[in-house]
Amino acid sequence: MASLRTCSLPLRALRATRTATRPSSCLRQIPPLPSTKPCKPSTSRWHSTSSVSPDELSHFSALASSWWDPMGPSRILHLFNPLRHEFIATCLADSPPPAIQDPTSNTANLHYLDIGCGGGIFAESLARTIPLDPSAPSPTPTRAASMTAVEPSTALVQIAREHGRMDPTVDSHLRTGKFRYLNTTLEDVLSSSTPEKPAQFDVVTLFEVIEHIDPTNTTPQAFLANCLRALKPGGWLIGSTIARTFPSWILNQVIAEAPWPIGVVPRGTHEWSKFVNPPELKAWAQEGLMRAADTGVKRGGPADLEGMQWKCVGTVYVPGLGWKIVPGSEDWGNYFWAIKKGV
Amino acid sequence: MRPITRVALRPYVCASCRHGIGGGRRRFGTKIDQTPDIYDVVCVGGGPAGLGLLAALRASPITSKLKVALVESQDLNKAQAWNMPSDQFSNRVSSLTPSSASFLRKIGAWEHLDTSRVQEYQEMQVWDGETGSRISFDHSWDTSAFEDMRAVATMTENSNLVRALLHRISASGDEGLTLFSNTTVASIENGSDLQTAGPDLSAWPILSVKPTGPGSEGKEPSRIAARLLVGADGINSPVRSFADIPTQGWDYNRHGIVATLSLADLDTPPFPANLRTAYQRFLPALGGPVALLPLPNNHATLVWSTTPEHAAYLKSLSPSAFLAMVNAAFRFSMTDLKYMMGMSTSEQISHEDELAWRVQHTPLPPQTPPFATAVQSGTIASFPLRFRHAAQYISPRVALVGDAAHVIHPLAGQGLNLGLADVASLSRTIEYAVSHGMDIGDLLTLERYSSERYLPNAKIGGACDLLHKMYTIPGQGPITWARSLGLNVIDKLPFVKSFLMKNAEGY
Repeated sequence: MASLRTCSLPLRALRATRTATRPSSCLRQIPPLPSTKPCKPSTSRWHSTSSVSPDELSHFSALASSWWDPMGPSRILHLFNPLRHEFIATCLADSPPPAIQDPTSNTANLHYLDIGCGGGIFAESLARTIPLDPSAPSPTPTRAASMTAVEPSTALVQIAREHGRMDPTVDSHLRTGKFRYLNTTLEDVLSSSTPEKPAQFDVVTLFEVIEHIDPTNTTPQAFLANCLRALKPGGWLIGSTIARTFPSWILNQVIAEAPWPIGVVPRGTHEWSKFVNPPELKAWAQEGLMRAADTGVKRGGPADLEGMQWKCVGTVYVPGLGWKIVPGSEDWGNYFWAIKKGV
Repeated sequence: MRPITRVALRPYVCASCRHGIGGGRRRFGTKIDQTPDIYDVVCVGGGPAGLGLLAALRASPITSKLKVALVESQDLNKAQAWNMPSDQFSNRVSSLTPSSASFLRKIGAWEHLDTSRVQEYQEMQVWDGETGSRISFDHSWDTSAFEDMRAVATMTENSNLVRALLHRISASGDEGLTLFSNTTVASIENGSDLQTAGPDLSAWPILSVKPTGPGSEGKEPSRIAARLLVGADGINSPVRSFADIPTQGWDYNRHGIVATLSLADLDTPPFPANLRTAYQRFLPALGGPVALLPLPNNHATLVWSTTPEHAAYLKSLSPSAFLAMVNAAFRFSMTDLKYMMGMSTSEQISHEDELAWRVQHTPLPPQTPPFATAVQSGTIASFPLRFRHAAQYISPRVALVGDAAHVIHPLAGQGLNLGLADVASLSRTIEYAVSHGMDIGDLLTLERYSSERYLPNAKIGGACDLLHKMYTIPGQGPITWARSLGLNVIDKLPFVKSFLMKNAEGY
């Protein structure tokens, strides 16, 4: 109560800084995902710190001070995070990946890949559940043994790493390599794996990413196919996005991005036309499963969809109460989706 | 609230700590401090609230693996070995509401309680000494004729409760548990960034804890870091000052007198035989209510809120005169009581004679409690009554529970119950955080706790404050008329009464 009231001032101040440095408002910008043409200039920019422009510095500091601020512009995303854990747990309970031999035991042996991790809100929270002692049981049903988080923005990866260092458990996982932040793209992760040693994960997560893909450079189908390529047989690809409906336009564009104090999301975060409806997503994911099965000599077909599973459930944000899972609301608003690769 | 991300500018506990050991080391040291021992939860204060939190965390399978520590300046071994003859009772007694009792059952502490020293009561009689208007609370409205009446509350000595919680904690094993008994907190300050050598602890509270027991002279204080620092350290909470959380409140300019009494048998035995009653009579002219709460074997504990002058007078009396005053307080008019409060102790007529003479000429209402026949020696004590409420319960990596967060008037016996409700809520919050990968010291985690507890505590504290203020207005003015009318009306409306009781019981 009192805390909320006293907080309004710094919050307003934060919003002022954000408007001054507009680029920071793009929550999770997925840059071009070039499968054939290498993206030279941007790569050199990502991996060199000497060429950082003053513009980017101010951009970086604006983000650094707000991404992990519980009262900042990412608050709604922070509040959403526990539900991601719950949804993953229901997927694993419905149909455990082959790595889980005995569903009643709780050994931590699942390897996670988080694509578009941003400042690391989900990646860090999952890394925190990795037991320090590998033989110890997992404290949560998500059973993480390792976490690889991929984010193409250097600034955000730096924020994520810095924040991770503030928790001794996460810091220790970062040092041992059980938790890795890779400042790269999904395609680089895939290309660095060889046929002998494929980069394959038990669970690939894609939270609030698919609606931020730039359609001029890639298609969601191609992107999903790449996500599914990173997945072991029997693994889950789990994500969340927003349906493209009239209520979601009102909620996400008109209300959520309204000026303070009504709005809860920075202006320009979402583009309604890029939202994805569940049937579209399911079709793309199926197409992706077949493309992921493509090899040099054979093209994947309906046979590769055998054993696949699809899960989808809606979520609703109620001001004052927080996020709730509301089955049925996936047809018009925010929703979780998951697809399981056949064994 | 301060900016969240940069808490490095937090003030230290006190000036002496800033200029003392910590500051000196930092000034002259050439290298950064050694890594402190890192704990998930460090609780400062080993009272019922702090121990309750620890016991709750140890009892839940989700949080039992957390590394927890408790810092207490008293000797916890002594508290765990506490014992008293069965016909004597400590004067520090609390009433546990049914929701507190069910929390203690849930965490497995109830079975460690010596139940022969615990007394339930099923009925409460409250009346106004000025006008005689009366209200009684019991569960007769929701009890059928074929079952025992549910208890309104359970009286237990704080020492009995503390001992039970300590037994519960030691029964959980010592893996991941450290009890810093006989230890004071020398300083709390923020840690430092260990750069390449370790994590960045610059926003973590680091406690320097110093053993004070015998044989600890010359021992170095140890340094412990807390993912979540819990302040269960009372009204002058050092944790609260570290977190720079202000409190609002006032002193009531009243003292609570406590004593353990033996009672005479009731004229008519209670029916059913196990029915026990608590009595509270408001004495507006003397500055507060007097209450008699049952203990086993016809004992009772007294809580008498009155002005510091009256309190000093009562404490100066001989035991027999004190008893006479207690019996008078439940029977006589305000005029008689004021006269007796002014009697010189050297006068010929003693308080006992005065009581015996006046009681013949005073009509007694049916709810008058039995006579107090003896006062256990050494149990008459007093404490000042205050109201305090912290502006916030949480700050990054800090949570306040119990008296560190709120101190209220004892007239409804709610203080300890609010503390236990805080602890129940905080342990649930920590459970949720651990099972969802959240950092238990993060504000996003802790705001669940504060939003659950801030309003209920303010509500109960405010209600007690309002009752105190209404019932300290002497005379027969409009307020007196209104409060008596209100009391009589509520007594006739079972649904209003049950609503009030539900609130008071914490449901």
